[in-house]
Formats: sequence, C-alpha cells, structure tokens
Amino acid sequence: MENKGRYIYGVAASDRTVNLGPIGIGGSEVFTIPCGNFCAIVHSCPAEPYQSTDENTVKQWVKTHQGVLDEAKKELGTIVPMGFDTILQSKDDAISADQVVKDWLKEETERLHSLMEKISSRDEYGVQIFYVPRIISKRISEENLDIQKIKDEMASKSPGMAYLYKQRVEKAVRTEIERLAGDWFKDFYARVKCHCADIVVEKTKRIGQDNVMLVNLSCLVAKEKVSHLGEELEKINNTEGFSVHFSGPWPPYSFVAKPVMPVKEEVK
Amino acid sequence: MNPTRDTHATLVDLLDRVLDKGLILDADLIIHVAGVPLLGVKLRAALAGIETMLKYGIWEDWDAAQRAIAAEEYRLKKMARAPEKELAALCSNSTDTTL
Repeated sequence: MENKGRYIYGVAASDRTVNLGPIGIGGSEVFTIPCGNFCAIVHSCPAEPYQSTDENTVKQWVKTHQGVLDEAKKELGTIVPMGFDTILQSKDDAISADQVVKDWLKEETERLHSLMEKISSRDEYGVQIFYVPRIISKRISEENLDIQKIKDEMASKSPGMAYLYKQRVEKAVRTEIERLAGDWFKDFYARVKCHCADIVVEKTKRIGQDNVMLVNLSCLVAKEKVSHLGEELEKINNTEGFSVHFSGPWPPYSFVAKPVMPVKEEVK
Repeated sequence: MNPTRDTHATLVDLLDRVLDKGLILDADLIIHVAGVPLLGVKLRAALAGIETMLKYGIWEDWDAAQRAIAAEEYRLKKMARAPEKELAALCSNSTDTTL
C-alpha cells in the first residue's frame, strides 16, 4: 500500500529530482519533490508521527534528521530546515501525498523566496557564554571597596559577629554579580552581534554550580564573518572567569522558526 | 576559536534546534497528535525529564501561543491579499499574481 505521509526534512532552492539513498529516519529512502524553483526533501511514511519514550531512539532520530540536511546541503545548496516530525499527509484519496507537498511548495513560494534570500551563504551558530561564580566572587570580594570595608571590620569582631559579617560579604558579592551580569551581557551581546546578520536571544539554562550561563544566542553568520566571530569569542574565552561554547554550523533553524500557515481557499 | 559540531558536546544544541525550531506548519495537512500537535515539543519533554511541565500544561500554553501568532500572520496575509482578489475578480484573471 502506498504511504500517505511525507516526512519533510527541509526545502532547497533547486528544481532537481534527486534520490539521496536510504539515509532517512529508520533507513528510509530520501528523495526530492520539486515544484517551481524549490524542492522538498522527504521520505515516504505512513500518516502518523514518529514517537517514542526511549531517549536514545529519539536522539538517533534527531541526529538522522540533521544528517539528512547535511547531505542534502552538499547536493542542493541552501536549505530551509523543518522541525522534527513535520509530516504532510493526503486526506483525499484522489490527491497523492507528493501532490500535497507540491501544492504546499506552490502556496509558500513567496515566503520561501524571502527566507532563502535571508539565509543564503549564511549558517547558524550557537554562542553560549558562562561565568565561573567561584572565580568572579573571589575577584569581586578582593577588588570591591565596599566589600573590603566590611571585611576589614570583620577582622576585629568576635567569631559570632564575624559569622554575620561573612554573610554580609556573601550577600554583597551576590548583589554585585547581579549588577555586573547586566553589564557583561550588554558588552558580550554587542561584541557578538556586530558579526551577525541576525541574532536571537535564547533563554539561559541552569547547568550547575560551577558554571552559570550568562548569554545564550543563536547567530546567523555570513560565511566570511565566522572567523571574525571566532576571534571575538576567543578573546571572551580568554578572559578570566568566563568561558564560551561555540557550536555550528547548523542549518538556520532559529531563523525560519516563525510559524507558517498555507493560504487555504475555504477561509473567507 | 572554532565552532564545533562534535556530537557529544553539541547534542543539546542540536536537540534545542531540531525539536523546538525549524519551519513550523500550521495546516490541516500536518499530522496532529491528540492534545499536543507539536510532537517535537512532547519528545523534548520526554527527553529532558520534564513531564511535569507537560502535565501542568506549560507546553500547551506555548503551543497555543505559537498557533495564535500563526493565526494572526495568516489573518494579515489574507487581508493583504484581499484587494488583489477583488482586482483579480474584476479582471477575471488569475488570483495568484503578486502586486
């Protein structure tokens, strides 16, 4: 029986019909469905989503999704990536699943054109900057004059009082870190942004006591500017108390993420 | 410094992107799963061990918000196209021309 679903990995600016081989999720044959100037990179599947409660299975699927986009890029150039588990289906037996994909490409031609223009010759990179509270706290408590004053007073106090003073020092250090974090963010953001064609500020994550994520950015960077960004990040990474995680190149997932609604005739 | 795609160090970066981002469709065409149409988000929840968030409906809120944005975009797009359609009807011409 013919599969009614088409799992879409992404869309390329090419009108070629290509078979990329059995590189898809679950070893599926990946091929292109062209329409106009674009083609969708798909595999044929039943009209039901991939789901699993097994972490490793899901991770493997996600890696495969990315692997297909990597291969497709080599063959077809710039690609608008889809999120995981985007499956189009035919609800009408008279219309083939391939035709549903073609109709969708046709409907979205205009938007795909502007997205392609935006992401062409550019890749996405992840930039995360962390600070090490232990090092930063030490520096602040040594350099901040107000905190120095509390520490000087503490020296002449009884152990009981000294304990209270110690708590005051810790609180003052925390407040100072919070104040400085705003300045660091602005500084790092500006230094990264000037090398990017577009930038998205992501939520920071808790990762542990030793490292605190201060900045989490998705950056759309032109190929020729990646090395400049790398140099800037190197400088930040070499600053005592800070470290940088620089990942990529990724397909521009974060820059095509606006929801897209095909125009449907029945909506009046 | 050079960017890395080493699988161990960047798996989270990859999951963040493939499961939560990429071009999103909102259409009859796409397959829905009861309750949570964006399956990627659900998988993400399973992965991160944050079923609690799913239970309390946080992801559903996010999903609803995403869809509201889509609906608004669609409405604007439709409005932008409306005069075209009238024009096209007058000229009894094709409706897919873009002005």
